[in-house]
Amino acid sequence: MNYALKVGASALAMAVASSAAYADDAFWKEAAKSYQDVTLRGVTESTPPSNYIREVLAPEFEELTGIRVDIETTSWDQMYDKAIKDMEAGTGIYDMVFIEQDIVYSYLARDFLTDTTKLLADNPDLKAPTYSEDNFTTFADYFRGKNGDLYGVPMEAFIKIYLYRTDLFNDPEIKAAFKEQTGRDLVPAKTHEEYAEIAQFFTKWGEDHDMDLWGTTAQAHTGHPASWYEFFETIAPTYGVYNWGIDADNNYAASVANGGEMNSDEAKEAMKWWLSMRDIAPPESNASTWTEVGTTFGAGRVAQGLVYGENAGWIAADETKSLVVGNVGVALPPMEDGILEEVEGGEGYIGYYDGGAFGIPSTSKNQKAAMLFLQYIGQDEVQPDWAVAAPRVTNKTTYDDPKVQAMNQELGGYYDLLRDKGYLFAGAPAYPFHAQVREATAPILYQILTGDLGPEEGLDQMAAEAEAELTDLGYRK
Amino acid sequence: MQSNKLGWILLAPTLVILFFFGVLPFLYVVFVSFHQWNPFAASPEMIFNGAENFRRIVFDEAFLNSLSVTVAFVVFAVLSELIIGYLLAQAFMKEFPGKSIFRTIHTLPLIMAPIIVGSVWKLMTTPSIGIIPHYLDEWFGITMNIGTSAPAAFMTIVIMDIWHWTPLVTLTLIAALVSLPRDPFEQAQIDGANKAQTFWHITLPMITPALVATVFIRLMDALRTVDEVWMLTGGGPGSSTRFLGVHIFKEVFPKTNYGYGSTISVIVLYLTIVACWLLYVSMLAPRKNRKG
Repeated sequence: MNYALKVGASALAMAVASSAAYADDAFWKEAAKSYQDVTLRGVTESTPPSNYIREVLAPEFEELTGIRVDIETTSWDQMYDKAIKDMEAGTGIYDMVFIEQDIVYSYLARDFLTDTTKLLADNPDLKAPTYSEDNFTTFADYFRGKNGDLYGVPMEAFIKIYLYRTDLFNDPEIKAAFKEQTGRDLVPAKTHEEYAEIAQFFTKWGEDHDMDLWGTTAQAHTGHPASWYEFFETIAPTYGVYNWGIDADNNYAASVANGGEMNSDEAKEAMKWWLSMRDIAPPESNASTWTEVGTTFGAGRVAQGLVYGENAGWIAADETKSLVVGNVGVALPPMEDGILEEVEGGEGYIGYYDGGAFGIPSTSKNQKAAMLFLQYIGQDEVQPDWAVAAPRVTNKTTYDDPKVQAMNQELGGYYDLLRDKGYLFAGAPAYPFHAQVREATAPILYQILTGDLGPEEGLDQMAAEAEAELTDLGYRK
Repeated sequence: MQSNKLGWILLAPTLVILFFFGVLPFLYVVFVSFHQWNPFAASPEMIFNGAENFRRIVFDEAFLNSLSVTVAFVVFAVLSELIIGYLLAQAFMKEFPGKSIFRTIHTLPLIMAPIIVGSVWKLMTTPSIGIIPHYLDEWFGITMNIGTSAPAAFMTIVIMDIWHWTPLVTLTLIAALVSLPRDPFEQAQIDGANKAQTFWHITLPMITPALVATVFIRLMDALRTVDEVWMLTGGGPGSSTRFLGVHIFKEVFPKTNYGYGSTISVIVLYLTIVACWLLYVSMLAPRKNRKG
């Protein structure tokens, strides 16, 4: 190709690109014309992805369309409190609410949410050329109703992963000591037994070398549901106890006596293993939620742990917050023999696929304008920078972006794991009574954690309490 | 007659606001308390169930546990605040070097929002990170873990509350002490009364109205404590610091058990009124009898 041809081709490409960009901008400006006096109000949990919406995407959208967007970021509890009260009372304060994956079934059961697929089908003028539901990863399926329509635009998606310190795992002295002690190489664990062996080794290593180092994290707060989630969404599935041990097809049975698994031998085994890990975790573990677990890892206090993906980004790459930057590896969580094959065969899951979407309450008075904003944040174009700012991927093409690829390297291959092994993880079960059963059984779990109840007795009580609550709520007949 | 009318006109805005934001919501809560209502139940609508919620509460172990830890908290915290607050007020009545600086510092906790107080204390008490467990271990060899030890968590909350609210008691009692006439004290001195007699027969009766008001305010606040506890322990370990406010919060918000949660709220309000009335009678009645 001669020089003139190259220049011509480049000019043509630039012209096409700029006209496409112009066409996109023109769409947003045109579509937003009718909503110039509208102020959209959204409420969400204060997380890195949400903060990015508030600080970057909302101002960008505002500048492009003239529609004002106020995003309120608050605590997890307050977010639910505000959103549910607004939707329940029908006040219509919020035009957009954060829908965590585990609450979506409760919201759908109450018709709290607007069908975004239908809204766009009924209003073709509203449909942005750069927005398509096909762009989303399969995580979006968690936000579909029974009719297959989408009720929320995914905005964050993570898996809870096994994080380990590569600097410690590759240290020749430590490797040799581990080999001498256990007779095997120091590599990320695949089974609970291996994980426990590594955890015990590092906790002892920390003691012997007067280091603030322990062998494992434990999200074992004795008064916060984070511990409940760690057990039911992270530990129990790796022992083959899925969906919290409740059998929805069997009259919502939770106890073994009635056909459930909440107090099964596997669940009890899982609880004992988890408690044994908690006992050799850093002392703060009894007061740790998902946030503190991330902080503990980032402070370099543990050699390995089970950490929510949303924290993996700053732990691995943010030098202002983390002391282990560049020293983090990721792997699948440890599990019992046969579980991986079972899950690959289509039954169950090995961990939690966490995340959330932004949805439009049925009570919103500005549904069309809100739909414009949701399409804006759902475009492929805005995803890479968002993924770099906060490690979350909701669109398929995001994985291939060079910025995201570079980030993937920093995160020890986290995005590869999310893309290639994400199918082994699952969101919360499709229960409309999520928070109710959790809150009914959590106090008993806290008693197990404090030692007031043994694991076996405690799980028996939890199963009974879950069934009682489900009977009270009218699900269990 | 004219002034009466003007008075009502001036009061009207307050009464309207009170009606809409106080009386009406209260009546609604009472109404809801006679219903079974959980929007995430299989039947999400409000179903009238008479006094069933009130019957249930009597046998509800979780509620009774919350009630007992709350009463223990109120007794420990309010009593300590009164004693320390009075001693500090007496100290501030005297002159000493650095008094104004100390008084300013002493008052600072009052301007902090409860949720911030909870956060600060959480930072200070988190095992292995917080300054308090660190120095308790280093200086005295005491292991403090509010995540596992119920007594440690409970006492930490009591101390946090004392730290936060004693300045209020101090300020109220300073105001009361400053306004006392000097004559009775001089008379008592001439009559040869000792300090204890002066306190018991003169100071205490004269500051009782201020004391009662302070106790009422602290009692009502302590009974509905939520923010600090929520932040510090979340009600744990186990249910050892699940005070009534936290219990109601968990019942009403995460569990969305609006009916039963409203019943607990009504009962707690009733208990608060009864407690205040008993205090009023026990603190003011003897004074009236003395007068009689």
